[in-house]
Amino acid sequence: MKGTGSEVIASVPPPLQASEVGLAAMVARVRNALRGAPTCSLVILALALICAMGAPLLAPSSPVVGELADALQPPGGAQHLLGTDNQGRDLLSRLIYGARISVTIGLLAVFVAGALGTAVAVLSGVYKGWVDVVLMRCTDAFLALPFLMVAVTVVSLLGPSMLNVILIIGLLRWMGYARVLRGEVLRLTEMDFVRLALVAGASHWHLMRRHVFPNLINTLLVLGTLELGVAVIAEAGLSFLGLGIPRPLPSWGTMLAESQQYFYIAWWLPVIPGLAITLLVMASNLTGDWLRDRTDPTRRQL
Amino acid sequence: MRRYAVQRLGYGVVTMWLVTLCVFALLRVSGDPIKYMLPPEASFSDIERMRRVHGLDKPLWQQYLLFNKGIVTGEFGVSLRWDHRPAFEVFLSRLPATLQLTTAAVVFSVLLGVPLGVLAATRPNSLWDRLGRTGAVIGQSMPVFWVGLLLILLFTVWLGWLPSAGGIDRLGLAGLIMPAVSLGFYLVAAHMRIVRSTMLDALSAPYIVMVQAKGIPRRVVLWKHALKNAAIPVFTLFAVNFAQLISGAVITESIFAWPGMGRLLVESVFARDYAVVQTVVFFAAAMIVILNIVVDLTYAWLDPRIRLG
Repeated sequence: MKGTGSEVIASVPPPLQASEVGLAAMVARVRNALRGAPTCSLVILALALICAMGAPLLAPSSPVVGELADALQPPGGAQHLLGTDNQGRDLLSRLIYGARISVTIGLLAVFVAGALGTAVAVLSGVYKGWVDVVLMRCTDAFLALPFLMVAVTVVSLLGPSMLNVILIIGLLRWMGYARVLRGEVLRLTEMDFVRLALVAGASHWHLMRRHVFPNLINTLLVLGTLELGVAVIAEAGLSFLGLGIPRPLPSWGTMLAESQQYFYIAWWLPVIPGLAITLLVMASNLTGDWLRDRTDPTRRQL
Repeated sequence: MRRYAVQRLGYGVVTMWLVTLCVFALLRVSGDPIKYMLPPEASFSDIERMRRVHGLDKPLWQQYLLFNKGIVTGEFGVSLRWDHRPAFEVFLSRLPATLQLTTAAVVFSVLLGVPLGVLAATRPNSLWDRLGRTGAVIGQSMPVFWVGLLLILLFTVWLGWLPSAGGIDRLGLAGLIMPAVSLGFYLVAAHMRIVRSTMLDALSAPYIVMVQAKGIPRRVVLWKHALKNAAIPVFTLFAVNFAQLISGAVITESIFAWPGMGRLLVESVFARDYAVVQTVVFFAAAMIVILNIVVDLTYAWLDPRIRLG
């Protein structure tokens, strides 16, 4: 009998080595993950991300200092592809740095709101009872706050800065996550694996961390992508009113606000930054819709 | 019904109380209103006197009670910018303009969004449907201030058809068109999407098949029988949309110099008129809460499943 065991083992094909999985399999996996993906939207998001990270390298000239002699040149010029503003600043460079502001604020605000909303949802759904009642009443109260009015007021009290804009958007936009995720948590806590974990003596903290939270990540990703557009618009809106990113930093909202004085002579000043905002928001909306369909086909809309 | 109404009103009162707490906390924690009201060169004794006058030298919990007392008695302090008139009075004088604007925006979005949604649902995947859906995606991604600026660029600067600033008293109805369209633009897309999907559901429901089998003309089936049920979500989402409209009004009113409460808020923020800011934020929140309750109650009255369930 000696040696039979090793023969059996030898007849089993050896497990695939990492090198054998190789490029082809990787490509296949990525292609599968991207099935039905909105290509244009992903390209726009990637472009915005690249602009945000590589702004100093990509921008052809300074976003805050311009040559007055070059002021108000229309797009299409050899030196200034998208034209210049009233101070002779290159619009393309301002747009690229603006992407940095929009993307940074969008991502961080979504992160703050998502963390807050998830915490509320998990606490609410796991502890239930009066914790749930109190937290859900608070969610309702926050939902009743007129978002932009409160944001304008608080930012003006704190003073306009990037951090304050991120915090206020995060603090006023967590309710969507809390409501949707709470439903998910309630559904999860009814399921056998969570009940069994509880019977096995798992603590609430262990339950939330190991069993509930990992099952929320899909939904969280979808909501976060959809909320990215909201955060971008909120930042641009605050900056448009002069209560967001302090000048001379080129927030897209600030650029639109400044364009109002030059409507009769420079159509590109209001058109181009608005187009940038719309494209970024549309890209994150469409990507969010696609992610939702991928992760949960039953909730497909339209 | 009565039990449901009492319960819903109770929730409303609790929510309203929490809203006052939120507003109070956000406004007080985020900064010292006295430093906000006075110029930077104010002397120390000025600051102290101002603090006493506004009751801000008391501990926070007493300030909160005073804040609540102000709400109950209707005293919200006096405006610094508008000739020391009561803040509440200043707010009330600006309220009608905002109501005109939001009403016009809602009417515009319903008149355009609902028929577009019905058209799209009757011919799914036709050219109309795809155009409408693409339009809805773009419409929901355009920020309200950009829509406003584009309208001004097109109709004031290039075509010279419409005035771009002033409010209804000075310009009449022509001045209402662009602000209402830019404020309602987002809602057109939202209404279109909702009506399309509920209409698709309704059209395959047994009662519609039944009506069709009876030989009722297609037109009547669509616009009378199916739309009646398909339009309910437009109504139930109204409270949510209203909160959006109030936010949008802040920006739209600023662009078009519309003399409503949104513009009042921005002006007061820049004039550091704390009493007015507080009043506007509080009443905007109160309007949203009350509207939520009204919509819920009406909905329950319309649909017995809600009030009995």
